[in-house]
Amino acid sequence: MRRVSDIVCVFRIQLMSMRKEIGPFLLAALVFPSAMYLFANAISRTEGGEQARLHFLAGSIVFSLSLTSISWLGYLLLENRFMGRLKLFATLPLEPSSYICGFLVFALVQASLGTITLLLLGRFFGAQMRPSLLLALVVLLTVLCLCGLGAVIAARARSFTEGSLLTDALGAGLVLLAPVYYSPEMMPRSLRGVSKLLPTAFAARAVETTLAGNHAVGTEVIVLGVMAVVTLALGFRLTKWREN
Amino acid sequence: MMTLLTTEMKEAAEGCTSSNAAVHVRGLVKRYKDGTEANRGIDLDLSPGELISILGPNGAGKTTFLRQLTTELRPTSGGIEIFGIDAVAAPQQAKQMMGITPQEAGMFESLTVREHFELFARLKRLSRVESRRQTTQVIESLNLVTEAKKRVGLLSGGQRRRVLIGLAFLGHPPLLVLDEPTTGLDPASRLAVWGVIRRAVTDGAAVILSTHYIEEAERLSDRIGVISRGRLIACGSLEELLGCLKRSYRLSYRDPLDPFGKVCERHFASFADAQRQIAHEQFSEYSIARATLEDVYFTLTGERFAERDEIA
Repeated sequence: MRRVSDIVCVFRIQLMSMRKEIGPFLLAALVFPSAMYLFANAISRTEGGEQARLHFLAGSIVFSLSLTSISWLGYLLLENRFMGRLKLFATLPLEPSSYICGFLVFALVQASLGTITLLLLGRFFGAQMRPSLLLALVVLLTVLCLCGLGAVIAARARSFTEGSLLTDALGAGLVLLAPVYYSPEMMPRSLRGVSKLLPTAFAARAVETTLAGNHAVGTEVIVLGVMAVVTLALGFRLTKWREN
Repeated sequence: MMTLLTTEMKEAAEGCTSSNAAVHVRGLVKRYKDGTEANRGIDLDLSPGELISILGPNGAGKTTFLRQLTTELRPTSGGIEIFGIDAVAAPQQAKQMMGITPQEAGMFESLTVREHFELFARLKRLSRVESRRQTTQVIESLNLVTEAKKRVGLLSGGQRRRVLIGLAFLGHPPLLVLDEPTTGLDPASRLAVWGVIRRAVTDGAAVILSTHYIEEAERLSDRIGVISRGRLIACGSLEELLGCLKRSYRLSYRDPLDPFGKVCERHFASFADAQRQIAHEQFSEYSIARATLEDVYFTLTGERFAERDEIA
């Protein structure tokens, strides 16, 4: 119970801090991904069809998850570390893992808001989809995996500038390098193999499949689960109150 | 300057170690990777209801010492017990007994003062009702009533500092570790903070604070410790420390032979010695005062020593 209460408190602190930072959040979680969806949707009218539209919607959802989980969350973790706020938490009998979990809850709430809004936007623009509860599981695993990456960068960065550059580059780069808005065949041969292994590639495939009403996402769920465990374990391990 | 440590001073330092301690530190050493020894074998005991101030020049190792106490920094060797809890092995448990004000820490700019206190009180395991009650209490005692609903981002440096201090007092922890708590505060705020600290001591809390203000150490402390070059070179009550100076009476006089009336200082072992000197030299303008903690501090640390007249 104590741990849950700690996590809720960290979550509330971040949530209340957002009053001033709602603009950047909306930009990262909604405006950019929506713009990307509309842009890709416009192309799909001329070149693709319903399938392409669903593909782009899935891509935009993953884009939103990546920007909020790596770029935005990583930025907040970096800010806490380099602006001395982490020290404030470190003075408390609070486990570092509870601190990270509070952030994960915060990221999940953001991800839910972003995903629901994009689904509504897709519906409004006529995308035919039959999302199931499996989509929630895919989103959850994607967020956990990407948050783990954000936490690792925030814990290891040598400066605020280095960290924020890395989280920004990774947040957008993981989506642009994955076959999310285009087919893998359009990439240089050397990058095709790597791009298929990115967490965003698995996430986009799983989101697209579940949006189409299919449940055949076993492989993607397992891979995302393993990636989430690995990145989060690293993130938890590297986040420390204590210096040697 | 270690040669200035008198026998009495050594005895006073040894007096800092006792049983039934709120804080029990033995042989604390902190050696950084580059070989710098920030703390070199510090021993210290602190009892409940006692306040000890740690003085020392910049870079002497005060903050390193406090950061090890608060478990933020792992010691190279030595032991720290907080109310019997091994702070090195069980830092979270030890922190449950502590209220900590770090030398520097950031806050959440868009949270109000009250929100800071309430949320951090919850993180200190206080119930919702108790969090609100103690928040109101701390806000009033630190004169933050008019700022309570303001966002922290709009506060002055001194007001922020008071919020940081207030966070340490939430939950009435039995041990307070305050790293230069009143740095940057105006005199009125400093008095308010001193009042809160003294009340906590009266209520039974043990307090260890580092400071650069000698007046603060004099007015607040039951004992004063001086850290220099990583060692606790003296520790004792103000009287004990003053007693370590062999010539603890300071005569200030206007030199009758100097055409500009230069003010000079000399130190004497007794008041009578000083009076004899006045009579002998027929000074017309003079004052005699007991040596202060400042004299002890400068003697021990060697700072400004060259500029001063004979002391011990």
